[in-house]
Amino acid sequence: MLPNRSRTSVLVFLLPPLLLYCAAVLFPILQSLFLSFFSWNGISDMEFVGLQNYVRMLTADDVFWRSFFNALLYLAICLVLQLGGALVVASLLTSLRRGRELIKTLYLLPAVISTVAIAFLFVRIYSIDPVGLLNQLLHWVGLGSFERAWLSDVNTVLAAVSAPEGWRFTGLYMLIIYAALIAVPKELEEAAVLDGASKWTLFTKIRFPYIRPVWITTTIMATTYGLRGFDIPYLMTNGGPGQSSELLTTYMYKTAFTSTDFGYASTISVFIVIECLVAVGLILFMLKRKADS
Amino acid sequence: MKKLLRVAAVAAAAALALTACGGGGNTADPANVSPTGEIKPREISWLLSRPADGAVINIMKKLADDYAKDHPGFALNLITTPDRPSYIQKLETLAAANKLPELFDTDATPFAQQLAKQGKMVDADKLLKSLNLYDNYRPGALDYQRFDDGSLYMIPFQFELEFMWYNKALLEKAGVSVPKSLDDVPAMCTALRKAGITPIAIDGQDQWPLERYVAYQPFREAGPDFVQKLKKGEASFSDAAGQKTVKWMAELGKANCFQDGFSSQGYSDAQNQFTSGQAAMYNIGTWELPSLATDKLNPAVRDNIDFFTLPTTEGAVTAANEFVSPSGIGMAVNSKTYDPLVSDFLKFALEKYPAEYAATGALSPTTDVQTAIPANATPLYKKALETANDLGDKQTMPWDTQLDPTTNGRLQQELVLLVQGDITPEQFTSTMNDAIKQNAPKFFK
Repeated sequence: MLPNRSRTSVLVFLLPPLLLYCAAVLFPILQSLFLSFFSWNGISDMEFVGLQNYVRMLTADDVFWRSFFNALLYLAICLVLQLGGALVVASLLTSLRRGRELIKTLYLLPAVISTVAIAFLFVRIYSIDPVGLLNQLLHWVGLGSFERAWLSDVNTVLAAVSAPEGWRFTGLYMLIIYAALIAVPKELEEAAVLDGASKWTLFTKIRFPYIRPVWITTTIMATTYGLRGFDIPYLMTNGGPGQSSELLTTYMYKTAFTSTDFGYASTISVFIVIECLVAVGLILFMLKRKADS
Repeated sequence: MKKLLRVAAVAAAAALALTACGGGGNTADPANVSPTGEIKPREISWLLSRPADGAVINIMKKLADDYAKDHPGFALNLITTPDRPSYIQKLETLAAANKLPELFDTDATPFAQQLAKQGKMVDADKLLKSLNLYDNYRPGALDYQRFDDGSLYMIPFQFELEFMWYNKALLEKAGVSVPKSLDDVPAMCTALRKAGITPIAIDGQDQWPLERYVAYQPFREAGPDFVQKLKKGEASFSDAAGQKTVKWMAELGKANCFQDGFSSQGYSDAQNQFTSGQAAMYNIGTWELPSLATDKLNPAVRDNIDFFTLPTTEGAVTAANEFVSPSGIGMAVNSKTYDPLVSDFLKFALEKYPAEYAATGALSPTTDVQTAIPANATPLYKKALETANDLGDKQTMPWDTQLDPTTNGRLQQELVLLVQGDITPEQFTSTMNDAIKQNAPKFFK
């Protein structure tokens, strides 16, 4: 344990980042909370409306609910691609003898490309006229009937804008999970193999329980990033066609900066904060219960 | 620790209260267009949304340099954001923070009208009259900038006409001719599609091009007043003119008038489809004359390109020479920072601007100068310019400058769905009527 004096010094050093955190994170959240009780378009007088914005959001706004469910589906697709993909790739990597570094770098590459470039890249990939990569591939393998304008079709657009976001960060989470996987003690695995454990048992009984803390952290990271996803859908389709790829975040942004309804946009942002907190709470709760059992 | 948090919370609340009290405040008299006093040169800024290397910016830069020669210390800082949605966000945020520069661009939107009502913009009507320039302007160019009540707060720098450009060879191939009525367009599209031709190339990504189409039928059926009533909730999409446009848009969709996947294609995609001879028609304004009516145009289609103006309909209340003729985004003058210097510079610049602008081959918003036709122009260039000499009194206002921003955003989204056949005309009508009912009252009190 630290002696008293150095505890004070630790506190002193912790203070600046804490203040920074308050100014950059807590203050805007409080300000949003404050604004959410007003009707304000930026240039008019602020008018106190009580809970009216919340009532409108929860009961009378079809676009809000549409974007909420879109955001959940977007999150699900991102999580499957990011966490599922990362786990599979990381596990395969550990069994690889040569070329690990090269593959790791290749997988990580999308994470360092600028979002705007990724958005433009995928707009081209999904394009039908001129024919983009995806439709061309489908044509070549004889699935020509599936060719479509992916970003204009209301049934495919949400999946189409989620995939780039998932693809983009798979490498990053793969790296984290891979680091955890290679830290699993070899002697434990060898002992299990000697006892006749199959590859699957080895994974479920030894490796996964061992990386559970890292898994929790990555799940929380991926979930919060997914819930805040904004740039790729906004750049690729601007929420369209209609509201088919509108997320809570893009809807909030438009409400604030296109409709200049800052009060109502703050209400939506308060909802997003609560939604993120609930999601993290749920993940912790579920994983803890699993660990306990 | 707890105490610290409490202190932080209190500080945050106090800061909030302070910022809430700030803002607003000192605005000058918007009607005082000739401020008296000494001209003290300084740097002034113009927040604008025009192409970075376009004629307006180049000319104004040059005029500012000329002015600075006689007024050392003067500089004009041009801050441009050509992407319109980003620009509007920037403008609205700066307006909210009460930090608008000396000059700023805006259309005659409901938001701008609120700024004008709050006395934040100089009365352009009075300003132009005091500079003896008012009568030089084309009435249509000024009308485009006016608010519904006829007041004028923005000064135009352009004058454009929007045409339907078409490829004669492709129309011939499909055995169709230029439509006599708007109602002929869907059948025309069907014929073009049958011949394997994309009927109309459209930039779906930017949304305003599709929104142009929804304005056409009501303008012919009920005149320019329809959208002014519609936006306030005094007219609705259920009215005859409203239903006509909704049904027409659905028919355009059913006839596959626009290229496949148009909603995710951009400005240059659409233009390329037309100039490469894949699409038969393309709806765009005279600002594209340099690429559509000069030798820059693809030689393969150059001799086949022509244009027609907005077709009329049977029983139309507006004439064939009345269509979309915008004078572009206008420039507003901030009343708070309006002083002898700004006034003197505007006098200097606005007097010299039209001649310089017309020399670039563009249509000036004034009638006192002759547009120079570039040496590499095709005959179409002259034909386009001459159309401006014979315009009616009314003009089709683009709806994106008329509706309140929330309704406008919803309309842009729903239009795509309607044209793609994802929603029925009935669904469209009821969604849009609800949107107007909910959002209009806040903006048009």
